[in-house]
Amino acid sequence: MRFDRWPGGLDRSAGRAAALAVIVVAVATTSSAVAARVLSVHDEGHLHFIESDGSEIIDEGAATGTVPGTLRVHFVYNGEPAVSARFTISGHGGSISGRAGGRLNNPTSPAPSFRGAFTITGGSGRYAHIHGTGELFGVFTRRGRNKYALVVQAIGKDPY
Amino acid sequence: MSRAPLIAVALALALCTALPAAALGATTATMSATFTPDRLGAATTLSFNFQIAADAEAPALLTGVDFRYPVNLGIATSGLGVASCPVAALEARGPSVCPPDSRMGSGSALVEIPIGSDLVQETAQVALVAGPSQNGYVHILASVTGESPVAARVVLSTQLQPGLLQIPVPPIPSLPEAPYVAVVRMHLILGGHLTYYEPVHGHSVAYQPVGIGLPRRCPRGGFPFSAGFGFLDGGHAEARTAVACPRGR
Repeated sequence: MRFDRWPGGLDRSAGRAAALAVIVVAVATTSSAVAARVLSVHDEGHLHFIESDGSEIIDEGAATGTVPGTLRVHFVYNGEPAVSARFTISGHGGSISGRAGGRLNNPTSPAPSFRGAFTITGGSGRYAHIHGTGELFGVFTRRGRNKYALVVQAIGKDPY
Repeated sequence: MSRAPLIAVALALALCTALPAAALGATTATMSATFTPDRLGAATTLSFNFQIAADAEAPALLTGVDFRYPVNLGIATSGLGVASCPVAALEARGPSVCPPDSRMGSGSALVEIPIGSDLVQETAQVALVAGPSQNGYVHILASVTGESPVAARVVLSTQLQPGLLQIPVPPIPSLPEAPYVAVVRMHLILGGHLTYYEPVHGHSVAYQPVGIGLPRRCPRGGFPFSAGFGFLDGGHAEARTAVACPRGR
């Protein structure tokens, strides 16, 4: 999936808080010849702005894909191009938590993009033993009715 | 190894930094900062002032300011500066050429120019705009425009770093044969009443940028700000202040 498809999705979104985030996490289960199951993560969803705490933006919304549920993201951007985030996806089968870091480009754009990596730090229920890493792509919308929107794509293969 | 020499050095350094600049026969500086509104967790406008006083007949020539602010202040997430203003155009024609969405704030500067035996003062207008970024940092340009008695425009450039704005100030020529212009007071507002525009269904719709996000917790003693001032004669001055925590929180 190409990253530059995302901003258009934000423009179509509306609603107060204008913080709309899209995260896609498509998860597929495959067998490993060695041992554990592996999640092939590739997910997507829309989040809205909840609140901010200084340089931290908190967004939440529905995640769709193989692990549908509620996604909550704490996104930190303090002027350093290196942005960071903590996230939790809570679904029917359990939850997945992690942290992410990336580099933000074109900071004076209405919707700067960022790219980086995520690390899964824990899980519960079906995902109690999940671990691993993956790639992260995103867009941070900074203006108008869609302020604080995040668009995030996560791709990875993570044993659980 | 004995720690005594290290302690002695540390004490000497601490003593040096604790001495007021005036005691060294140098220039002094003071500063203040305010949030409007001053409400934890809310969007706000940051205003700050600094003033420089020289213990000499001629004003000290400022060469740079290191402005330090709380690292968790939501300046980068403020929604300010969602377009950039070309530096060359800003230098040549002033801030009116900049896109409205690049405006980040405003202010004024009081400068002094020694002319003969007189010390002439001039108030210059300051416009803060976002500049082009090649390295991922937000670049802030300060366009300082004076009209009389010295008509000049200077564009200062800084990049927003976590908790720090380093602003180099070049020598500012004044009248022929006269010394450089000296900045003695500055008032800057980051945020405020700004109007931006965004495309909605093919129309340009005006909106106000969110403003700087205040943290939800106030540190003990208030939100600390400080600034270091460098001068052409090699002197240095420090100033610090704190924005008191809002009552009832």
